[in-house]
Amino acid sequence: MEITVWAEKYRPKKLSEVINQRHVVERVKAFVEEKNIPHMLFAGPPGSGKTTIALCIAHELYGNSWRQNVLELNASDARGIDVIRGQVKDFARTKPLGEVPYKIIVMDEADNLTSDAQQALRRTMEAFTAVSRFCLICNFSSKIIEPIQSRCAVFRFKALTEADVRKFIERIVKGEKLKITEDGTKAIVEICEGDLRKVANLLQAAASLEKKIDENAIYDVASRAKPTDIKEMLELTLKGKFEDARKKLQDLLLRQGLSGSDIISEIHRQIYSLDVPEDLKIKLVEKCGEYEFRLSMGGNEFIQLESLLAQFLLANKQ
Amino acid sequence: MWTEKYRPRNLKEFVNQKEALEKFLNWIKNWKPGSKALLFYGPPGTGKTALIQAFTQEKNFDFVEMNASDFRSKSQIEEVFGRSMTQKSLFKRSKIFLIDEIDGIAGREDLGGVGAVIKIIKESNYPCVLTANNPYDPKLRSLRESCILVQFKKIHVFDIEKRLEEISKKEGITIEKEVLRNLAKRAEGDLRAAINDLETVARGRKKVTLEDLEVLGYREREANIFDTLKVIFKTQSALPAKLAITNIDKDPEELFWWIENNITKEYEKPEEIAKAFDFLSKADLFRQRINLTQNWKFRAYMIDLMTAGVALSKKEMYRKFTKYEYPKRLAILGSTKGLRKEEKELFLKLSQLLHCSTRKIRLEYLPYLKIIFKGNLEKIIS
Repeated sequence: MEITVWAEKYRPKKLSEVINQRHVVERVKAFVEEKNIPHMLFAGPPGSGKTTIALCIAHELYGNSWRQNVLELNASDARGIDVIRGQVKDFARTKPLGEVPYKIIVMDEADNLTSDAQQALRRTMEAFTAVSRFCLICNFSSKIIEPIQSRCAVFRFKALTEADVRKFIERIVKGEKLKITEDGTKAIVEICEGDLRKVANLLQAAASLEKKIDENAIYDVASRAKPTDIKEMLELTLKGKFEDARKKLQDLLLRQGLSGSDIISEIHRQIYSLDVPEDLKIKLVEKCGEYEFRLSMGGNEFIQLESLLAQFLLANKQ
Repeated sequence: MWTEKYRPRNLKEFVNQKEALEKFLNWIKNWKPGSKALLFYGPPGTGKTALIQAFTQEKNFDFVEMNASDFRSKSQIEEVFGRSMTQKSLFKRSKIFLIDEIDGIAGREDLGGVGAVIKIIKESNYPCVLTANNPYDPKLRSLRESCILVQFKKIHVFDIEKRLEEISKKEGITIEKEVLRNLAKRAEGDLRAAINDLETVARGRKKVTLEDLEVLGYREREANIFDTLKVIFKTQSALPAKLAITNIDKDPEELFWWIENNITKEYEKPEEIAKAFDFLSKADLFRQRINLTQNWKFRAYMIDLMTAGVALSKKEMYRKFTKYEYPKRLAILGSTKGLRKEEKELFLKLSQLLHCSTRKIRLEYLPYLKIIFKGNLEKIIS
């Protein structure tokens, strides 16, 4: 039995299949028809179609030989200056295969590039314009340095509407012959907030558990998929069970492989629902900020997070 | 020298280290060519060499000795021991080989020394005894396999005091109990040091008082990690906490994790734990600054914050025995290494397949994929 990930299976292959983002699709289609694309910067919320459109461009320009002409990079995995100077430069400087006179470098999550790497990228973009085009993808374009923004055609992706999400759900329901109730659909719309990747994942997880997908099935999956470990870790700390909390932290970092910065963000979010006095909440937020800063200065993830947790011990006293 | 003069001449005079003595006697009784050697280990001045000297003198054995003051390259060892290894003694006396301070074998100068010693143990017609302060020295790893380890413990302060009292009586010196106690204490389990100290202050005198001890300097000893932690966690002054690590053969990086793992073993009050970890967090930043700038001056700040900072985080000393533990994180890092590598490879493959970063895979896909594939993620890739 072959199992595929629906988020991938239902990712549009052609620009005409893309859900909404009409203004972007229209412009990009014109570029593709002329076989002349500029450097591009896609900015917008998660699951709104940025990577999808970049891949569609690749498919439509190069057909089956797209993999030879497209370099896909994820800035959060390859964020340093070495990657820009090495891998990117090596790919960008060589001539493309086929009739399209340039290659495409898709740099996903570009807001995670260090500023040094962005500076290096800026020069690379200019030096190899004859044979390469860049497509940078990010959530917030403000994290991209201005010189790069000015070299790109900037496209803003809109948050998808309820109608868009429903359209996507229908597509999957039809393709997989699923049974879904109206309240099930509503629940998905509400939980996913326009993120189509989440829609596909949620639907597939629910379908793997239930024959008929209703509201309950959706909420059940959503709560199962929600990370609870960080909340538990905080609760243990507030109860004074610091040793157990430390073990949990160790587990989150080493066994589950979460990054320190992601854990701090989640702790920050959780503070507001903790059972502690209101004035303390804001003090804890301040601590979060302080330790996130120390982390960004290169501090060890385990030590910094553990120290942050130790500060939460104080909340136990009041 | 009083340490020579009052050395035990026979086994009756060898009063401490009952356990070690018993092991030794049992071993020598059953010894035959090809048996393992004995490796006496323990801090200085606990009777390792004295036992052998007392025994050989009493039983009229010959003994061939080599210690750290000799060079111990392969050829030199073979020269000293090689001939007498198989040679019969004059008047058919029996013989013991003693290789003293074996951990003093320096890697480069004493090239092949350890190998030569192992060879002697295996081929000798006579029993071999080795001594060491630290038998777990990596240099001695291969040697340990041909040895039975016998521990010599620090000599108890009362036993030292008793011995000092006997000696002063024989020398005809009047010395107060308090002074003896003081001498015994500062020797920290090292009987030889205590006798040396006694001789230093008492020689040529008829009477010794507490003031006379002022002339004695403190011996620098290599502390072990537990002593170091004890100082850091128990002291309430900055300087001793900082100095606690100067005497130890561990690098600050490792010590950092020892302290980290034991804060909650010692401290109980939330505000103390919070404060101690805050200092550790700051020490960690200086560690990072060393890495960034390669400026080792920052190390001093890292050390002060992690020792004195943590020491001063408590309001008062905890009067309790704390069992300090090996840093768990170092152990976990080691044991999960393979697993983490495998996982990383899996995530990289998923990341190519699903066109997003490994971070997104973890945060946005993994929770659902776990439900969909019932935890069996390899299926997706195949």
